[in-house]
Amino acid sequence: MSKALANKKVLPSREAGLFKELLNLYEGRQLKKGLKTADTILKKFPEHGETICMKGLVLVHMGRREEGIDLVKKGVRLDLTSHIVWHVFGLIQKGEKNYEEALKSYSQALRFDKNINILRDAASLQTQLRSYESLVETRHTLLRLRPNLRQHWVGLSVAHYLNGNLKEAKVVLEKYLATLKNVPSHDVEQSETLLYYIHVLEELGEYTEALSLLDSHSRNRDIVDKTAISETRARLLTKLSSPEASEAWHTLLERNSDCHTYYLGYLASHGHPIPPSTPSHPDPDALALISSLTTEFPRARASKRLGLVLSEGDEFKSRAEEYIKGSLVKGIPSLFSDLKSLYTDNAKCTAIEEIVERLQVEFKDASSSPKGSEEPTTYLWTLYLLAQHHSALGRHSKALELLEEALAHTPTLPELHIFKGRVLKRAGDYWGAAACVNEARVLDGQDRFLNTKTGKYLLRAGCVKEAGDVFGLFTKKDAASPGVDLEDMQSMLYLLEEARAHETNGQPNLALKKYMAVKRIYNEIEDDQYDFHGYCLRKFNIMTYLRMLKWEDTVRSQAPYVTAAVNGANILVASYDDPEIVKSLAVAHEQLSSTSKKAAKKAKKKAAVAAAAAAKMGGLDGKTPQQHSNEDKGLEPPTAKDEDPEGLKALTGEGTPVLEQAWKLLQPLLEVGLEENVEVWLAVYDVAIRRGRYLQAVGALEKAKKAGGEEHPEVHVRVVDLKQRAATLSDLKEPVKSVLEEAIKKLYPVEVSPETFNSQYLQKHSQDPKAVIAAARASKILNAPVEEVDGTVFSLLNTDINLSVKVRSPSPPLFHLYFRSDVAMCTMYRTPWSP
Amino acid sequence: MNIRPARVEDLAGMQAANLQNLPENYSMKFWLYHAMTWPQISFVAEDHKGRIVGYVLAKIDDQESSEDPVHGHVNSISVLRSFRRLGLANKLMLASQEAMRSVYKATYVTLHVRKSNKAALGLYRDSLGFKVDKVEEKYYADGEDAYSMRLTMTD
Repeated sequence: MSKALANKKVLPSREAGLFKELLNLYEGRQLKKGLKTADTILKKFPEHGETICMKGLVLVHMGRREEGIDLVKKGVRLDLTSHIVWHVFGLIQKGEKNYEEALKSYSQALRFDKNINILRDAASLQTQLRSYESLVETRHTLLRLRPNLRQHWVGLSVAHYLNGNLKEAKVVLEKYLATLKNVPSHDVEQSETLLYYIHVLEELGEYTEALSLLDSHSRNRDIVDKTAISETRARLLTKLSSPEASEAWHTLLERNSDCHTYYLGYLASHGHPIPPSTPSHPDPDALALISSLTTEFPRARASKRLGLVLSEGDEFKSRAEEYIKGSLVKGIPSLFSDLKSLYTDNAKCTAIEEIVERLQVEFKDASSSPKGSEEPTTYLWTLYLLAQHHSALGRHSKALELLEEALAHTPTLPELHIFKGRVLKRAGDYWGAAACVNEARVLDGQDRFLNTKTGKYLLRAGCVKEAGDVFGLFTKKDAASPGVDLEDMQSMLYLLEEARAHETNGQPNLALKKYMAVKRIYNEIEDDQYDFHGYCLRKFNIMTYLRMLKWEDTVRSQAPYVTAAVNGANILVASYDDPEIVKSLAVAHEQLSSTSKKAAKKAKKKAAVAAAAAAKMGGLDGKTPQQHSNEDKGLEPPTAKDEDPEGLKALTGEGTPVLEQAWKLLQPLLEVGLEENVEVWLAVYDVAIRRGRYLQAVGALEKAKKAGGEEHPEVHVRVVDLKQRAATLSDLKEPVKSVLEEAIKKLYPVEVSPETFNSQYLQKHSQDPKAVIAAARASKILNAPVEEVDGTVFSLLNTDINLSVKVRSPSPPLFHLYFRSDVAMCTMYRTPWSP
Repeated sequence: MNIRPARVEDLAGMQAANLQNLPENYSMKFWLYHAMTWPQISFVAEDHKGRIVGYVLAKIDDQESSEDPVHGHVNSISVLRSFRRLGLANKLMLASQEAMRSVYKATYVTLHVRKSNKAALGLYRDSLGFKVDKVEEKYYADGEDAYSMRLTMTD
């Protein structure tokens, strides 16, 4: 290094002192003073990289983001061997959630200084990125540097655990525990550490050792979490097939007799394993065990309910009657939802119907006589139960009849209105359903549950504005709109229901906005874990932390994300196939915007008033926050203004091509254990085939076929689609070409033409409405004449087709469906569907 | 029906139940913070399909001084309307109180309740033995007063 260059980097003692002060001021977020100090140094040494970086960092905190970042970058260039500049750059990148790049900067910083803080941040980034091998290295370095810090030992053990090296995880823990002296009894941190240790032993299969540690440490009160002690004990004894296991499960029941899983553990330990979620598993011995538990814990419902699974025939009938009667007398609204899982056993379903119908007669007499032995509400709940029963079996009119009787009896029970709404919804009358649920809502305006239901039902009816008004009764008043508050609070229910409503209303652009909002929330949830990588080790809450990491790994397999990703991708694919969709939406929006401009003006005014009020409450006395330049705005970029409020730009692919957007939605679904979900693989096929990723497409279609079966209507459409597209592909290179040909042979093993293949499919499934629609779509793909496609769709009007499917299509023939008696209550076809 | 300690995998269901039932809502980070800090004292009620139908979210309050004994606080508790009358709220509260006491040696529990919420008030006072400590004016965002309630737990 030349002398001149070195001088540029090393400050004389006065400025070095100032620089130290600058670091301290930054730590204390004394931003204004920090800025001043930085400028003082820079006056004399304008090329001092570290000071420039620090100034940039301070400016970013003050909200002067772009300017600040430019300085940071400049500072880095001026002093590439300083750990400070790389650390600062890493902080900025971390603030932008760019974890990969941040880690690179931290690694640079560590080349020049093994600073504890930088190492810790690097460990967090490595965990966030699941780079467990390098995490082990970092934790090793930390432990070597500061072996006296307890969290460094546990940190290394956890790193080994995450890296799949349980043996090392155990060795490190044992060394750590051996170093501990004078640990006070009843220490929560120590307790959690020991539970982690026992868990590692359990994972290693060392059950006996785990058990003896558990026992000795719980006796000393080193482990204080009694539930965890008892649960771990029961589990270990079960794994050891110990005769003491059943006693351990019994201990758990004494602690908590409302836990279903404890009963299952107890039965299994007696040699009676019960398969999960089965409606019927007759076993007289198990039943006897359960009966004695019922006597022991008479207030627990779990054992009585389990008795209904373990019994059959007359035994079932008498148990079911007692269970149902008791619940009706108590007025338990969830009774039907509780019983429903038994219905997959036909005999039990019939028996329940008989019992409830008998009780209906019994309670009717009892409640109508003045000296009735039962409360009138018992009869009401019986009617409610019976209506739910019939509705679940598709007998809508019977259900409504019972509900009318109940409502005439007591018009003020919200549950009755809600259920009437549900019956109408099931029958296809969405508007009637929303009206009913709204009646429940007005009966108890304080109850948000009823409010949420009403909003949801209004959305099912496509009434977006009305739903917003209803939701708004409970959302924050200072939010720009009810929807904004619900989105901030991460309400998946709201976002998905409103998206669906927009799709029903023919506004896929607005639906896509909501699906993208769901995606953003999942990004947030993934970012949320970051701070806990260091925090949980400091707290020694290791077990809950390990669970969180595992949960985060597959968080996108949750239903809300899957729905948003698949539906969002479908919208994008449709707009890719037919750009006319977006054009007509844009025209419609133009026409509307003259009226909505007025509304926007009003909303703007309202927001201004709210902002003024908020400023007043914050003691700002109307001053704009910018004047308080010491205010820390943090390192995260502020949320950018939404430049595409109508979602039309996204749908035209302005910015990011539509297929790329679709792919970004679907990509996280590939590795989170969704092999059984046919919708996911169909969507992946649709996007991949259009992106020219042929092998990926056939791979997805194979998975869809595996998940849904080859006769699955949507799979059929794709097989035809693939065959059709493959015929036009000519310039494929090897080995893609031959792999693709092989795959197509497997997916389309017949020698017939696609047209014949399709008509054979239609013939085979002419009773299944979904298959009929699929065949129609396939013939459209095969460029069949319109009359032929229409003809296939028209065949849905044949009364021998079971219309258990909801069909949404702008095709006029479907409006005639309501003339069919079995869908007489359905209103969704009565109003023309206009995009 | 299952009553059991809340785990990380339950948080999404707890958040959804809270949004459906109550006006005070929180983003996922807040729920995670509780699960990562006091993993033993929050509980859920789930139905046979594993859906969360009720929850209690609890924490251990910061001690204001060394004389201030350790105490717990119930941040949020609710049960879906369709799963009422099963005594779930009562059971959830009892489970949480027991865990606060045995794990953290908490000596009392506090909570806030809307003045107008007669049903909840009845549960806390009559079934669980809470007493009104003070009234906190305009505690809620909509301007309603809260009762600050307290239950002393002794061995």
